[in-house]
Amino acid sequence: MSQNSITTPRHRWRNDWWLITRKIIGHVSAYVIMTALALVFMIPLLWMLSTSLKGRWEIFAWPPTWIPETFHWENYQEAFAKYPLARFMGNSAFLVVMNIIGELVSVPLIAYGFARLRFPYKKTLFMLMLSTMMVPGHIKLIPLYNVFSRLDMIDTYWPLILPSFFGNPFFIFLMVQYIRTIPRELDEAARIDGAGTWTILYRIILPLCRPPLTVIIVFTFLWTWNDFLQPLVYLNDFNKYPIAIGLAFFRGRYSVEWNLFMAATLVSIIPILIIYFFAQKHLIGGISSIGIKG
Amino acid sequence: MKFVRTILVLLVLLTPVVSAVEVSAQDTVTIEWWSVNSEEYSEEAQRALAEAFMAEHPNIKVNLTILPESGFQDKMTTTLGAGEGAPDVAFFWDTNWYPQALDLTAYIEADPDLGPETYFEGFWKTRAVWQDKVVGLPLGVGANFVMYNKDVFDAAGVAYPTDDWTTEDFIRIASEVADPDIKRWGGDRPRDAYRAIWNNYGAFLYSDDSTTVDGYFNSEANIAAYTWLWDLVASGATPTPADIEILGTEGTGPVDLFMAGRLAMATLNQGHMLNAIEAGVPFGIVPEPQVPGNERYVNAWSLTSSIWAGTEHPDEAYEFLSYWVGPEGQRFLMENGNLFPSIPEVLAEYEYADQDYAQAFFGVLELKQVAEWKNEHPCFGTVNRAVSDVWDLVELGEIGRDEIASTLNDYMDDAQAALDECVPRLGG
Repeated sequence: MSQNSITTPRHRWRNDWWLITRKIIGHVSAYVIMTALALVFMIPLLWMLSTSLKGRWEIFAWPPTWIPETFHWENYQEAFAKYPLARFMGNSAFLVVMNIIGELVSVPLIAYGFARLRFPYKKTLFMLMLSTMMVPGHIKLIPLYNVFSRLDMIDTYWPLILPSFFGNPFFIFLMVQYIRTIPRELDEAARIDGAGTWTILYRIILPLCRPPLTVIIVFTFLWTWNDFLQPLVYLNDFNKYPIAIGLAFFRGRYSVEWNLFMAATLVSIIPILIIYFFAQKHLIGGISSIGIKG
Repeated sequence: MKFVRTILVLLVLLTPVVSAVEVSAQDTVTIEWWSVNSEEYSEEAQRALAEAFMAEHPNIKVNLTILPESGFQDKMTTTLGAGEGAPDVAFFWDTNWYPQALDLTAYIEADPDLGPETYFEGFWKTRAVWQDKVVGLPLGVGANFVMYNKDVFDAAGVAYPTDDWTTEDFIRIASEVADPDIKRWGGDRPRDAYRAIWNNYGAFLYSDDSTTVDGYFNSEANIAAYTWLWDLVASGATPTPADIEILGTEGTGPVDLFMAGRLAMATLNQGHMLNAIEAGVPFGIVPEPQVPGNERYVNAWSLTSSIWAGTEHPDEAYEFLSYWVGPEGQRFLMENGNLFPSIPEVLAEYEYADQDYAQAFFGVLELKQVAEWKNEHPCFGTVNRAVSDVWDLVELGEIGRDEIASTLNDYMDDAQAALDECVPRLGG
């Protein structure tokens, strides 16, 4: 005997009511938990905002306050007056654009070669390329400095841009894995129609590689924007410094001007937040598709 | 092909944008000078100093590169490691860089205006001379001392510390002025062993001839110093190292907590003193506490300013160095910045020399320097690292007061092994 056969309208109403209530409770709980988690993750950002509006020594007062006694909006003005932060951000933006162009030019070419073309020692070369990811950047710093110094490129942007035109092993690996998931039949069909290797790459493969290309753009943006060590080592001219170096100037020899530092940092992360806001759908989609398909 | 052509055109167009334009005059020599922006010498003051020098020396162009404090170390280490690209003149504040500093002995001997007698003796010994070579000139002076917040002491009804206070007084006063209810600590902790207070106890890591740790690392003096630390930790009157780290002092001394009135006394320096003056915090200064009957020490420093041995223009570099770190330059940075000069006759001209804080600071500079012994014993760092667990065990309260002597004995072999390994490498 089925359960429906003994269900009265009253029972059914109760069941429906219970289902709806359970659904509402589930939704509300999920939103409450997610909101709470979001707030937890927002705390550092909110504290940064609060600190940026406080007096210098109010930051460490006990009990700590979220709302400043007086809103020191002039901290932002002072931070920008103290150092040319707009110029530093402009320099960072230039480096970001150039590095993204470099990666977008080089990575698909190399990745396509490894994923589709046949040539001697392909596997060995691929492993060799991957193994370069295991070498910490700090170890390469001095030899690379020697190389760029002999090329007379110190105090220019070239050492910060040029490497991106030779590919990044991590991105190449991602891209190779992604291209391998694209059916070879598409290449073959294009080849039958008279397409050459370049045409297949740029007309067939690349349009299908939007997820990994988004990942490359976003990560290159983040890594370049936040890079401190390489610009520090290669650049000497104050006016060429990117924002990551500019922010470091707020730390003095004996103390840190936390309020100005936080004001400057908050402004400097706005471009990152904007990029992330617009790119998050593609970024998460890109990562998950690479992860699943790769 | 169209795509490749576009990229090539783009690269060609961008070449002039990213290339540095090198301007060089045939008759002038350019000296690269790297420095940092500091509370004591701002970027503006240093650029003005370079301008003043160039006005007097039209054949020398000084190209000043200002680096962030946190990046100076990495950039110097990289360029010195690469053996190229290092500046002609810069701070050589890391002793590991000394081997790459130009030996200035001949220049100093030939210079009628500059010599060891120009500077405070202690700073010349610790910051200019290394392995019988003159590796640089000492710029400015700095020192640790205990600053106390008068408002906090007044509110707690506790008498201010005095110059002749002892290590036991430090714990007592810190405990009296601390108030856990309002998260206020009485005093801070030393940042490491074998600084001023250890030396005040007469505690040294190993023998003066660098042969043995026996009778030094396990000496009564060392046990007494560690016992004092144990008592200080147990008093609960000090912030833990984690507190200090979290509360944002970035390794510069707990000035933030002091200025916020949450630390009644703190071991700070002349830069923090200037912060307090600027913020209008009423404060007093006393030397680090003494141990009656023992010689008293100070943790003091000056910045070794050197010429890179790889410079192509040593004469011009010395011309600038002797101006920058000589009486003229230090006076300029004192008057146009906040530098406390390492030259007694220039320091005497300090505008606020008659103020209490300045007198107290100058008094601290007359004490014997901790760095003297360390400078003469290059293996100090190696041996200290080998026994750093003892410090951690006491700091974290993981051993009992009566276990200090046995713990030191447990690490005797490690200390001796580190010393034996290091001396042939770095010298005794």
